[in-house]
Amino acid sequence: MGMFESAEKFEEILAGFFRHMGATKSIADKLLASKLIIRFNYTDPDLVIVVDCSGDQIDVRPHDTETKAIVEMSMSAEVAHRFWFGKVNLTSALTRKEMVAKGPIPKVLKLLPAVQPAYAMYPQYLDANGYEKYNITRAYRPPTA
Amino acid sequence: MLPEFFEFYNPTKIVYQIGIATDLKPELDIIGIKKYFIISDHVISDLGLVQKVADGLANVGFETVGRYLDVAQDARLNDVKKCADLVKASGAEGIISIGGGSVIDTAKAVNILFSEGGDLVDDYSGAHTLTRPLKPHIVIPTTAGTGSEVTMAAVIYDEDNKEKLAFPDKFLLPNLAVLDPEMTLSLPPKMTAATGMDAMTHAVEAYVGIQSSPISDVMAAGAIELIMKNLVRAVENGDDIEARGGMLVAATMAGIAFTHSMVGVVHAMAHAAGAHYRVPHGVANGILLPYGLDYNFDFIYEKLARLAPVMGVAAQGISDEDAARNVIAAIRSMTGKLNELGALPIRLRDTGVPEDGPAVIAEGALNDGSSFYNPRPMDEEELLPYVQNAY
Repeated sequence: MGMFESAEKFEEILAGFFRHMGATKSIADKLLASKLIIRFNYTDPDLVIVVDCSGDQIDVRPHDTETKAIVEMSMSAEVAHRFWFGKVNLTSALTRKEMVAKGPIPKVLKLLPAVQPAYAMYPQYLDANGYEKYNITRAYRPPTA
Repeated sequence: MLPEFFEFYNPTKIVYQIGIATDLKPELDIIGIKKYFIISDHVISDLGLVQKVADGLANVGFETVGRYLDVAQDARLNDVKKCADLVKASGAEGIISIGGGSVIDTAKAVNILFSEGGDLVDDYSGAHTLTRPLKPHIVIPTTAGTGSEVTMAAVIYDEDNKEKLAFPDKFLLPNLAVLDPEMTLSLPPKMTAATGMDAMTHAVEAYVGIQSSPISDVMAAGAIELIMKNLVRAVENGDDIEARGGMLVAATMAGIAFTHSMVGVVHAMAHAAGAHYRVPHGVANGILLPYGLDYNFDFIYEKLARLAPVMGVAAQGISDEDAARNVIAAIRSMTGKLNELGALPIRLRDTGVPEDGPAVIAEGALNDGSSFYNPRPMDEEELLPYVQNAY
């Protein structure tokens, strides 16, 4: 069992965080400028989330397997979680295949500076929304089976 | 202090010798194939360097089954497709690329299609999408700058969609890098200076970068020492074979360093200057390197200070801040000498950047992927005065 007890809980947390980023103007403006449609494929638990930046506002769509994405990012839920704490070395994660990125890499790299402020937002978001136990910057204890 | 995690992967065999590009039998015997396709450009071919290598191959029983010489100044997607078709039809078993970064990157991308088939954009866009080794690729660099002979990426320009595509993949690392200083003797002084400062920027940014490791540090510092000793010499006298050799090895070491440790604000600014004002990449790096170090100073001075002995500016009993300032001054002194030799501009205004250009460059730098790896968190307003200083 991974860090999240269910796909529903992981979706609640991560899709909620994506929507929180989408409502943060400084980040949303840059994401919208990219016009990218990104599909995140997560495992353990399995979950698909599309973040669509092609319109006037960020649209976060869990379970969307139909939309043709420009970029597909695949990773475990734990890697995704650590990424939003700024605790994943992206280059290493890609070379070690902890993350698999398909699509135009320069466009993905351009997004990185835009999402960097989100690293500080993620633990605050977890604490503010009742997800303290997932905040690994507090006192992370691995879940027991 | 050691990083929490690092990885070092460099399977490319590197050989160095004056004249070795025409005497590759021991290395090619180990690779074990006989038929090679050469990828280069017309400038290199007109200098006789392609024929020289082909003759060397023929003399020891290897066959050149085809040549593609139409590689443009930027590696282009249509060239990759055309060239791959020719390579496939030629009966080649491997590729030899002879040239600078564009030629080498073209050959890397060609090798994907040659080895695996398919469509480069549809099937291989992404990071590390390849699943097995490609066919043998031997690289003979004719510039001392990009380090592409030891990096795991190919950057290809899609002229139809007017965008740069990047293919980072460990299977793109060439099998063999042949460092023969004779192959760089014809590089003109301005190109020597610009490509040399490109290598210097790779090394310095890799050394102070947030992903540096003790292994990449050794490569970066070694490259910097060689560049300090040899770049001005190679510009002053292009026939100085020892200086040419030093620069060739330095560029390769810098390539190994930055393919692991990445680059930062200087490259971010140089990419923006290139995209908006066509400032050649090495020239932009040469101009902007000291200003990028100034911008990062508070975040890097302790480590930068360790380069002082390497750069020949060590002094007893001075603070890290002063030692780091000496390092930046040494870089300025070198670019100043290159400028006096007429080989390198040291102001953006001398490269066609307009008066309002620094603001555009600062904004562009902030949106460049390299800024993600910069030691100092990037801020457009804070960066702008440094770009203006470089103007």
